[in-house]
Amino acid sequence: MRPDVSVVVIAYNDARRLPRAAASSLGQSLGSVETVIVDDASTDGTAEAADRLAAAHPGRVRAVHLPSNSGGCGRPRNTGIEASTGRYVMFLDSDDLLDRHACLNLLGTAEDTGADIVSGRCDRVLLDRPRDAKGRVRPWYPRLYERRAVYGSLSENPDLLYDTLSTNKAYRRGFLEEQGLRFVEELYYEDLLFTAEAYLAAGCTALIPHRVYTWLVREPAAAPSISNRRAELANFADRLEIHRRIDMLFALRGAHDLRRAKDVKFINHDLLLYMRELRGRDRDYQAAFLDLAAGYVAELDPRAFEEANPLSAIAAYLAREGDHAGALAAAEYVPGSRPELRARLVERDGRVFWGAGRPRRTLGRRILDVTGLGFHQRPLKELCPGNTVTRLEMRAGRVRMAGDVLNPLNRIPADAELSGTLEFCDRRRPSRRARVRAAVRHEGDRLAWRAEFDPASRIRPIGFIDPVWDVRLRLRVDGEDVVTRPGAGRGSPPLDGVLLPVRPRLTRLAADRLRSRVSGRGQLAFVLEAGSPGARLTGAVVRRAAVSPAGRAARRRAGRLVRRVRRTLTSRGTKIVVFNRVLSRLPVRTGLVVFESHMGKQYSDNPKYIHRELRRSGRPVRAVWSYASSPKGFPGDARLVRRGSWAYFLALARAEFWVDNQGYPDRLRKRRETTYIQTWHGSAFKLMGVDQPRLKSAPAAERARLRRMVERFDCFLVRSGHDVETLCRGLGVRSELLPAGYPRNDPLVNGVDGDPELAAEVADLRDSLGLDDGRRAVLYAPTFATGPGGRPVGVLEPPIDPEVFARELGERFVLLIRPHYLCRADLPPGARAVMRDAGAVSDVTPLLLLADALITDHSSIMFDFALLDRPIILHLPDGKDLTPGYFDLAPHAPGPITRTEEELVAALAGLDEAEPLHAGRRRAFAARFGEHDRGTAARTVADRYFPPARPQRHRGNRNGRTA
Amino acid sequence: MAAPRDVFIVCNNTDGMGGLQRWAHHMARLMAGRGDRVTLVGITRGPESYHHGRDGSYAVEVLHEEWRPPAMAWRPKRLRQRIDVRARGRDLWRAMAQRRGAARLSELFAAAGPGSVVIVGQVWAMEWVRLADTSGLRVVGMSHESFAATRASSRYRRVKEHYADVDRMLVLTAEDADAWARDGMTNVDYIPNALHVTPSVHPTLDLPVVACVGRLSYEKGVDMMLEAWERVAARRPGWRLHVYGGGPDENQLREWVDAAGLSGSVEFRGVVADVEEALVEASVFALPSRAEGFPMSVLEAMAYGLPTVAFDCAPGVRTLIEDGRGGVLVEPGDVAAFAAELDRLMGDPELRRAVGAEARASVLRFHPDAVLARWDRLFDLLHRTLRPAGEPVRDMPKRPVPATAACTTDGTAEGAMEGAADGAAEGEAGRTAARVPGPADGPAAERAAEPAPGG
Repeated sequence: MRPDVSVVVIAYNDARRLPRAAASSLGQSLGSVETVIVDDASTDGTAEAADRLAAAHPGRVRAVHLPSNSGGCGRPRNTGIEASTGRYVMFLDSDDLLDRHACLNLLGTAEDTGADIVSGRCDRVLLDRPRDAKGRVRPWYPRLYERRAVYGSLSENPDLLYDTLSTNKAYRRGFLEEQGLRFVEELYYEDLLFTAEAYLAAGCTALIPHRVYTWLVREPAAAPSISNRRAELANFADRLEIHRRIDMLFALRGAHDLRRAKDVKFINHDLLLYMRELRGRDRDYQAAFLDLAAGYVAELDPRAFEEANPLSAIAAYLAREGDHAGALAAAEYVPGSRPELRARLVERDGRVFWGAGRPRRTLGRRILDVTGLGFHQRPLKELCPGNTVTRLEMRAGRVRMAGDVLNPLNRIPADAELSGTLEFCDRRRPSRRARVRAAVRHEGDRLAWRAEFDPASRIRPIGFIDPVWDVRLRLRVDGEDVVTRPGAGRGSPPLDGVLLPVRPRLTRLAADRLRSRVSGRGQLAFVLEAGSPGARLTGAVVRRAAVSPAGRAARRRAGRLVRRVRRTLTSRGTKIVVFNRVLSRLPVRTGLVVFESHMGKQYSDNPKYIHRELRRSGRPVRAVWSYASSPKGFPGDARLVRRGSWAYFLALARAEFWVDNQGYPDRLRKRRETTYIQTWHGSAFKLMGVDQPRLKSAPAAERARLRRMVERFDCFLVRSGHDVETLCRGLGVRSELLPAGYPRNDPLVNGVDGDPELAAEVADLRDSLGLDDGRRAVLYAPTFATGPGGRPVGVLEPPIDPEVFARELGERFVLLIRPHYLCRADLPPGARAVMRDAGAVSDVTPLLLLADALITDHSSIMFDFALLDRPIILHLPDGKDLTPGYFDLAPHAPGPITRTEEELVAALAGLDEAEPLHAGRRRAFAARFGEHDRGTAARTVADRYFPPARPQRHRGNRNGRTA
Repeated sequence: MAAPRDVFIVCNNTDGMGGLQRWAHHMARLMAGRGDRVTLVGITRGPESYHHGRDGSYAVEVLHEEWRPPAMAWRPKRLRQRIDVRARGRDLWRAMAQRRGAARLSELFAAAGPGSVVIVGQVWAMEWVRLADTSGLRVVGMSHESFAATRASSRYRRVKEHYADVDRMLVLTAEDADAWARDGMTNVDYIPNALHVTPSVHPTLDLPVVACVGRLSYEKGVDMMLEAWERVAARRPGWRLHVYGGGPDENQLREWVDAAGLSGSVEFRGVVADVEEALVEASVFALPSRAEGFPMSVLEAMAYGLPTVAFDCAPGVRTLIEDGRGGVLVEPGDVAAFAAELDRLMGDPELRRAVGAEARASVLRFHPDAVLARWDRLFDLLHRTLRPAGEPVRDMPKRPVPATAACTTDGTAEGAMEGAADGAAEGEAGRTAARVPGPADGPAAERAAEPAPGG
């Protein structure tokens, strides 16, 4: 009977692993599978192993021997196709595995769909990583294999070209024969051409999300396999040759769109793969390689650059233009993985460009424009500027190190206060570190640093358990920490093999020196090693013991135990249990207030103004503020605790008052003696709590969670009857509703005249935003837009193109852009003349005070700003008002509604003329939603709950729980 | 049938009232009806002994007349749990009882001829099948709920463990199968449930009635139905909402209806004995569920030609109302949109007729013949072999099944609609068996670890 599937297993000098591969084919859940082993004239007994397998499984395994070695995968696979008989053909390499159900899944799909090719997911397994490590299993282009799919032709999904593996697929034999499809035999990367031809010829291609193939990857072994030998130039030349042949193929078929799709794939995948391996190679090699690449890149359709990923396109484009440094830096810059910025950037005509030179031609300007990546406005520490070591040497028992840190776009001004610390960290436990001071000097587009120290006294490794030490340079720029990773680069001396003598805590028998080396990502690190014969001997003994089965098991167990203990001790769950069982039994500290605003993100909003009122009126309270990541900007007279730390939980447990505007951690049981004043962060237009569809349809547990959080409230501030009907109902608030208005709005009602502190704050803000040229400030503060998956869209674009704004309104207005605190603004540097990013301002009240008008959408900021009785424009492009809210916005709007950029420009231009038209409605709006905002909110809260400013404190029934 | 097979269908119990049991008996009847030797095996007796229209064409076996050991295997996590002697003792008792049941199962399996198949309907029952001797048979494990529902429950870990080695794991929709495949279950495939009603009459779609059928519990979302009804009722006087089914939330929902002043237009009709009666007098069918597997009530409504309005809450719902044919899908929880769609259908009889006709045409995808053909195709794939020449080859031809023989449903036996086809059938069975001697073990104890809210 004819087999349904033939699995062609190719092997060369792999007697050890061949039986395992063959077993994965023999163990298929589909019964009708034949296995054909093709031995490429091996010299190590692979042929015999194949024959043994054939003898053991007659009728199911066949062994074929090539007379002479072919040097590649092409000929063995072709031979296997000829020698097999199954209706479908699959390929398996002797060092990989088939999933047990691969043939059944592929055959079932092939028969159901009639496809010529059926392809399943391939998982790469990095064998060098520990068994349960994250990232050990990496699916190959998983986005193609999200769900089952059937494509009539390649043009229905050109992205298939990314999966160029020939092994994770089953091919209909009739299809291979009709199309005469075979592998090329004289070049490497035969897969690429074969799969491209096959995809192009197939009348129907089916994909399944099931794993069918496991590609076992061992990082550089003694005899690297073909795909690991990328480093060789000839190899790359082969790849280019294959690509040229694929291009020819597409050209013959007139498939120009597909060819471009393939070009894009070459830029995004092939080229990048090689370029990322160039770091650490010598300059000549890099140049030779990039010249080779440039030759092919020049043949590409220029439109391919624009369709490729921006940084891949930059890498390819700069390789073509001969800017090798810029090209390599772009290839290594992977957004989203905390990449290091190693390239120079230039600012021209209000845009930011990658690379040192001036971008030429329109294509260059379009491709090299990286304004959108926000290098000019993101916090310095997020940029990870590149750090090149220019000196590393041992002299007279002291190390001398020096280097340069890039100063991208001169973000660090020459008069900045600079200091630096060189840190050596144990890679396994980065909290163990040795620190050395480094001198830092500003040199224009770079910062030069140097350090000199005695390694033996400054760095004290333990020995054995800390074999690798990483180096970091922590810069402090005007109080902001920027961590950089020193590494190799242009101008570096050879950084490998410098020896620093050290004295480990386990004596010099454990090790006696650190040897420098450059990691694959080009960063400097040190390896602890033994130099003296005695140390070498103990090292060998310890290593031997450690790798023995017993030693390994013991290490594994100890590691697990340590991890588990550490996890348990530091986990939030533990803290919450301890909070509920232990901490909340400690006595309450009278007058202790824990403030929190937006889960600790800022010092702002109602809690801030309640705190100020308590301070102003001299009440006997001890204030604690919680911060989420950085204590910067929080008040100096309060104790600061990091949200989630033990100190935070302790403070919450012993507090007499909790004051926040969003929510303290779930599952914390508030004790009866604590009064929780929930000030909330705004009146609602958008549906809240269980009125939101998301929560309405959620499992009961999520509602229970909301109920748990809300039931802790003892007091809920409301501004109007609207709040009572919407917010309180949606959230299910059952506590006392305090009709006091919002403390943050007191200054909006009262003005800043009686409050010099706030007046100074507003003046400082006006200064720092540069608003003293007589133009009027318009605040643009929309709420966040939800993208796919219901998550906030992270970037806020200006509502009007900066050039248009400058032309039409630039003489009269400055636009302050205030993104939601979950987003950041995207402003090109050229917009600076007419627009300012106010995202870093933590408290919005001073911003409201200095703004002369507001543009918003359905953000709750309109309810606050209306109190100032200044113009409001609601900008609702593309039907944003279709979002369901608590009331119909159009008839009640506090100002004009605009839908397009032009309308908004016109509304701003005619702001004063339209004022009489809208003022009345706006006042009605303010009166309706700010019913209780009379400028006394903070005082009302303080009087209601806090002890009066007298030496004797009364502890009457104010702590009693209010129903 | 050229070569009748032995088919074993193994469930937690065979006589409960749940949708799973109804499915099992329906499958058994269908397969027996065309010549297979079918044995329906229940691990235990159910809480009620419902006969599910069994007609003697297939055998029914029960492994344990009474299951008293703990429902779940003991999985100690902490040291203190590990040295709990009583729990260990109970687990030994459980293992011994389980082995006895598995031995009985092995006996049944041993009598099977070549080409036989074991279909395990629920993961709890799989524990017994794994212990039994299944050599020569192919084992198919099924999950009758959506991936998301399994993922959120303790069944996820058990499915990953017990179904890892079965020859095929089956779920009900392609989307769920893909989710399991992404999650690493490479043996997964899907076969939808077969339509199990043959309408004798069809609704005229003229009566001003919206029908809603399901347990009155949180996940069935009847509260959202009522909220939507509140928005519609005022605009459509004369229309009535019939809510069928009973459940824990009944009193609460009735109170809500009274408080909202809707008692004039909303009727709670209790558990329905005959689905036909309920559907024939309606013109629109509503499925307000928060979570679903493969809602058989929608399948029935479509077979009766009713247009459906449903929340897009699960792959099963999307599969039934594919591309909006035969009904309308609304974003989960968007009560306003749900009400608007109801209103649109209520106000337009022609639209109801058009969508209803689509539904009747679309539901043929789940006709028993079509579904059985998929099962046959699966059995064929599972039993394909490479035989050395000379040995007789027994191929299984795909023979079309005569349509008349396929559906021997007797209408009256369809039974109560309560809990129709819900994925919770699994949970019910678990509860049945959960006569746990001590309070401190089993998954109930795991779940109870959360501290109670208070302060």
